[in-house]
Amino acid sequence: MCTRLQFEGSNEIGVVSMLTNGYALACQGNSENFYSVLESELGDHIPVVHASIAGCRFVGRVTVGNRRGLLVPNMCGDQELQHLRNALPDSVVVQRVDERLSALGNCIACNDHVALVHTDLDRETEEIVADVLGVEVFRQTIAGNALVGSYCRFTNQGGVVHPRTSVDDLEELASLLQVPLIAGTVNRGSDVLGAGLIANDWAAFCGADTTSTEINVIENVLKLHDDDSDDGAPKAARMRDALIDTIV
Amino acid sequence: MVTYDLKRLAAVPTAAELVDIVLMRTQRKTPTVVHPGYKITRIRSFYMRKVKFTQQTISERLGAIVSDFPRLDDVHPFHGDLMGVLYDRDHYKLALGQLNTCKKLCETVCRDYVRLIKYADSLYRCKALKVAALGRMATLIKRQRAALAYLEEVRKHLGRLPALDPTARTLLVCGFPNVGKSSFVNKVTRADVEVQPWAFTTKALYVGHMDHRYLRWQVIDTPGILDHELEKRNVIEMQAVTALAHLPCAVLFFVDVSEQCGYTLEQQKSLYDSIRPLFADKQLVIVANKVDAKPLEDLSADHQQMLKDMCAAHDPDAVLVPMSNVTEAGVQAVKDAACDVLLQARVDRRRAAAGGSRLRDKLTRLVATPADAAQRRPALATALPMGADEDRGPSIPASVLAARKAKKLEKRAARAAQDADRLELAALEARDGGHGSTTDAAQQAEHAAQQARAIARDAEAARAASARPPRTTERERMWAGGGPGVYSGETSREYIGQLRCDEFATDIQPEIMDGKNVLDFVDEDVLEKLAALDDLEVETDQTLDQLDAQLEAARLTPQEAAIIKAMRDRQLLARNRAQASTNRRNAPLPRAARLRTEEAPPADTLRGRARAAAEKRGRSLSRRPDDAMDTSVERSKSVAREPAAKKRRRDASRAASAHRSSSRPPPRNEQGLDGQAAQDRARLLQKKAQKKMNRMARGGEADRKTGPKLIRWMNEGKRRSGTSHHR
Repeated sequence: MCTRLQFEGSNEIGVVSMLTNGYALACQGNSENFYSVLESELGDHIPVVHASIAGCRFVGRVTVGNRRGLLVPNMCGDQELQHLRNALPDSVVVQRVDERLSALGNCIACNDHVALVHTDLDRETEEIVADVLGVEVFRQTIAGNALVGSYCRFTNQGGVVHPRTSVDDLEELASLLQVPLIAGTVNRGSDVLGAGLIANDWAAFCGADTTSTEINVIENVLKLHDDDSDDGAPKAARMRDALIDTIV
Repeated sequence: MVTYDLKRLAAVPTAAELVDIVLMRTQRKTPTVVHPGYKITRIRSFYMRKVKFTQQTISERLGAIVSDFPRLDDVHPFHGDLMGVLYDRDHYKLALGQLNTCKKLCETVCRDYVRLIKYADSLYRCKALKVAALGRMATLIKRQRAALAYLEEVRKHLGRLPALDPTARTLLVCGFPNVGKSSFVNKVTRADVEVQPWAFTTKALYVGHMDHRYLRWQVIDTPGILDHELEKRNVIEMQAVTALAHLPCAVLFFVDVSEQCGYTLEQQKSLYDSIRPLFADKQLVIVANKVDAKPLEDLSADHQQMLKDMCAAHDPDAVLVPMSNVTEAGVQAVKDAACDVLLQARVDRRRAAAGGSRLRDKLTRLVATPADAAQRRPALATALPMGADEDRGPSIPASVLAARKAKKLEKRAARAAQDADRLELAALEARDGGHGSTTDAAQQAEHAAQQARAIARDAEAARAASARPPRTTERERMWAGGGPGVYSGETSREYIGQLRCDEFATDIQPEIMDGKNVLDFVDEDVLEKLAALDDLEVETDQTLDQLDAQLEAARLTPQEAAIIKAMRDRQLLARNRAQASTNRRNAPLPRAARLRTEEAPPADTLRGRARAAAEKRGRSLSRRPDDAMDTSVERSKSVAREPAAKKRRRDASRAASAHRSSSRPPPRNEQGLDGQAAQDRARLLQKKAQKKMNRMARGGEADRKTGPKLIRWMNEGKRRSGTSHHR
């Protein structure tokens, strides 16, 4: 299931929150509405943690992680780091990274096995990513954008990339990441997938502007459908008809 | 085709308002002061301007109205016919035509009176003619009072018509009055159509929108139609007929099987037959409504047959769906059936029409082949990894899987319970039938019902076992604790279960102590690090000792040192001597001072190859010696060596100055002249041209003249006031 969600009227939920298979981070807002949506969907299974980095809300753009670890930028304060270490399970290694490109969430995209990183990232950071997150690291661009974390979102099951990614690039990325990929959008045509979508292997959240077609594309590729859909026709086939009627 | 914005037509003023507007505008925008003492031509033009301006304003306003209102032939036929029905086609055309005529008449009046003003001989007559002209124009406008008022009404009504897109995906609901059309539209869309138990509650077309299958659909509610000839139909019915005639859509024909609407099924069938020609090329769903009052099974056999015939008459595939607005049974089914059949038709049409490689490409990306379906490949264009090597499965927590299983169980329980209900009902009916053969069936059904009941119970039990207690969310705590802005959550709640001991969660953590950041001094493995440092120190000491020993072994003997010193001294000496022997005469000449010589460059350089190639092609790289503009190789080589003969020819003399760049251009009076002969001739011509001028001792064309600057008013005589024509 992919849930539509807003944070204080903004659809860019990937900026203020991040989601992995082992934990979820959400920023402290004025009200607990946003946090509680995540909490009610995920709280029974993984810790959902209020977090701030350098006293700011852009948690999702400056941190990157998977179920093995969490990387935070240099500007993260000691108390914030301590809070994260206390609230996350012991299996998650929290590590502060001294990197010039401090928006780690924009510069790195990863699942539990592979990470794509910004082409200008430090070699040291690359090693830290590989060690702490336990992933293979590739320096890549997505549709000519070096900010791989902003323009794609992938899990262990599949991923969505920038809509202007060419078919060749898509196939290259798919074989690097070893997951099925699709070019898509969120939030009614927004190409910043990292900001509009947070996902793990069994749940996903997207901005409230996301259309049902977009949601369906996302659910399809991230394999979030329930296996026993009640209707006879497979969902993808029905969506195809809708697409033919609108696009062709 | 002209596109009209029916929603944003400018308001049409009434006749009196229009007259006011026009006259006020004339007053404001034309000059207002005129005197009898002016020249008559000036007075005439003053009034002619007023008349013309008034006429222009009128033409502008009326022209705008005529062109803004849609021409019935230019809009979509649906809109055209609808407007024709609603506003009376003839009346509408007549009104616009009258305005156009009025505009033309005003133009004639203007032309006539301007002509008359040309012959007027005084201000008074001019003014009288102007007043007459404006009065006639105002009268012409006032005569259009009715047309203008009518058009304003039309404009208001057009603005309130529903925004109906004739090309969108449309479901059109039709049938007799009171058969439940509006209730259905209210059920499936958010349109709030009035529903009342009398006929013709709906008097116009209403549009509602709904989402279905990831698409947007518009549902049109039409007024009821009675069964009589087209000519007898009133405006309300005609709107429905217009929509049926012109919109490509799926038609939902509502039949009231309970006959509560006041029309028998036979009458409804006859209406269906009479409007069936309008359903051609449309998808049809026949909705048997109000089955809560009378289920389909209770209908007599010939009525049931009649409904089936109605379906078959249109299309063998047309479906009959029972529905009830009261119980909401079948509402979803009607919606699904209509949307699916329309979408299928639209998709088929697009596929058939899709020519061109781009469209075909799009289709192939969207449409998965049967092979893909067999391999469970995704139907949309998805890049798949080339070959999954290692195990990189998803990592989904067990609790999530359990929750999913519980959900599935819940569904299964619900389904099994439904099945059980149905089977029990069937068993009951079979038992009531009481025939010998049906008793077995009844027993079987009961047995199946019991089984289904058992499955439902098991599933429910399993679900209940795995159910978790409901969770108190942070949001609920926030509202309990004073709402947003007041409530501040406890951080420690997030630590529960993550620390070694849950009591640690609420411990106070010191942050700053004695002005120092505590965390700077906290290190879990400080002892290990210390031990590592000690080891490192010992190791370093050992290494240093070893290095010392090695150095000792590598030290030079005194003899070796002496030899090396001798060698170094000798090198120094040689260097000093070499420096002393260089003197001023060997100072390098600057490049510019060097004599330019052009020897053949070696063949392996680029220039050498270029020269060789040029010679092979029969071209010389240097110019011929007789070229007057030449500053060439030969000159610098041979001529330069000649003693400076008293030649006045520049090329020869210049060659002596080796420093001067040979690329400098020749003097101006030699440029562009080919050879000495031409130069001489040019000099002669120049002398000849100046001969006359010199003899007369006059200024030539090149002489510059500046006359004395005289200011007019200082040098002219005085004038009386009032004679000046310029300010």
